[in-house]
Amino acid sequence: MNVQLFALAIVDGVSYAALVFLVAVGLTLIFGVLRVLNVAHGSFYAIGAYTTASVGGAIFAAGFSPWLAFPLMIVAAVLVGTLIGGPIEKFLLSRIYHLEDVLQILVTFAVFLILEDFQRLVWGVQPLFEATALNQLGTVTVFGITYTAYQLIFLPVVAVLVLVGLRLGLRRTLTGRLITAVTEDREAAITIGIDAEKVYLITFIVGASLAALGGALASATTSVVPGMGADMIVLSFAVVATAGLGQIEGAAITALMIGLGRSFAVYVWPEMQVLVPYLIMFGVLLVRPQGLFGGIEARKI
Amino acid sequence: MSETVLLQAKDLEIRFGGVIAASGINIEIMEHKNLAIIGPNGAGKTTFLNMCTGYLKPHAGKIFFDGEDVTGIAPRKLVRKGVARAFQIPQLFTEHTVLENMLMAGAAQARNWAPLTRIDRIAQRGEMVHMLEMIKCAHLADRLVSELPEGQRKLIDIALALALKPRLLFMDEPTSGVASSEKFEVLEIISGALQESKVTAVFVEHDMGIVERFADEVAVWNRGQVLFRGAPDDILKHPDVIRDVIGEEL
Repeated sequence: MNVQLFALAIVDGVSYAALVFLVAVGLTLIFGVLRVLNVAHGSFYAIGAYTTASVGGAIFAAGFSPWLAFPLMIVAAVLVGTLIGGPIEKFLLSRIYHLEDVLQILVTFAVFLILEDFQRLVWGVQPLFEATALNQLGTVTVFGITYTAYQLIFLPVVAVLVLVGLRLGLRRTLTGRLITAVTEDREAAITIGIDAEKVYLITFIVGASLAALGGALASATTSVVPGMGADMIVLSFAVVATAGLGQIEGAAITALMIGLGRSFAVYVWPEMQVLVPYLIMFGVLLVRPQGLFGGIEARKI
Repeated sequence: MSETVLLQAKDLEIRFGGVIAASGINIEIMEHKNLAIIGPNGAGKTTFLNMCTGYLKPHAGKIFFDGEDVTGIAPRKLVRKGVARAFQIPQLFTEHTVLENMLMAGAAQARNWAPLTRIDRIAQRGEMVHMLEMIKCAHLADRLVSELPEGQRKLIDIALALALKPRLLFMDEPTSGVASSEKFEVLEIISGALQESKVTAVFVEHDMGIVERFADEVAVWNRGQVLFRGAPDDILKHPDVIRDVIGEEL
């Protein structure tokens, strides 16, 4: 493997890891607070991608500035998280918190199936491609390789901003402290008058919006196709399980490990590409069943 | 001071399996008269607190707060109406600082959500710092609750309850877990803070010295019933009380 290929593998891995992280951190945040493993999480990723690609295609065709691609991603992510994620938590998940884990997973799996068909209904099965954002940022050359600035710089920067923003938000803001308080002791939080139901709803919307943001960002780099949500949820489960459930910084590091592992496999042993993330997970869980960063009783978020 | 009935319990009954924890409890709690509840273990004292604060629903009977029927409504809603509770084991968020605990309670009470505001900049800050001063814990504001000894946690728990701006505060053994040499000092601080915030207190207590010193009235519980009720001087000298309650404590 020469230097160029090595550099290419690293850049591929890092930019892919940034997307996986956004989805995985939303999943782990929701699990850390609500204690529900949300299988439908991948659907937010897919719907975020579809929304951005289809709305973007329409407004650019109508002659609007291509720079609108960036605010569009944020708006699409928040709208998907709020308008689809919000009602799912408020009217469905809020009724099943007292049920067994297995039942909760079945319910969220059902939601996932419904949302998959919803995507086919709205956007059909033809792939969408809308790379305006990618083209808008141009390319950069490092270590003799030319790569899009969007994937090399923009995606990792967004991921780091989300990581830092989430950590500071949870530590410093009122809403963040309320979320950690409800996570620490829901009963006590209710006793002092904190509206735990509202805290759950906000957390779910934030988590769902992060997944949708991942999809919105990904839509510029890849074709938006049916099934992309399923691929992503499986991969982000691998990240979250490897890191330890509820671990925010852990999800970042593990996303990086799995992203790099996967991209090196592409160049070294392509047949193994799909398998590598799960081999990493398997290896880690064999040694540390609670995940790389999870305590035995995981410190919650 | 006017004689307002703040809370009235009427014929409260509750049983757990064969155990009768409340069998026809009738009591009126007057505003601005601190009431101590004494009685042997298993007399149903904590059960009474649980019913008054919404943690248990009585099988029969009614509870009125400020004239309004509040029987069986949820603790969170009772807090809004002015009934707060401090627990035997303080219910604090140990991974938060003392001030953060207070600010969260203050914000919840004021229904302040302020999504992107730094917690130390919310509108309730001044008020919450003042409450910490009232219970002589202002110097602990930035300490994590997990670092504090039990006695101080008790005080913070009371401050947290006061942050909810109650009119009536139930305390389950406010001095349990506090070293006996510090008990009087701790209760001195608590009663000062209660007086300043004009909160009426109902507290379960085993230490008769404390009851004598801090209660305006005493109610004696036994087998799920109120046996006696009156001024501490009279009640604590009553032969039946000495035999059944105080005697057991010795």
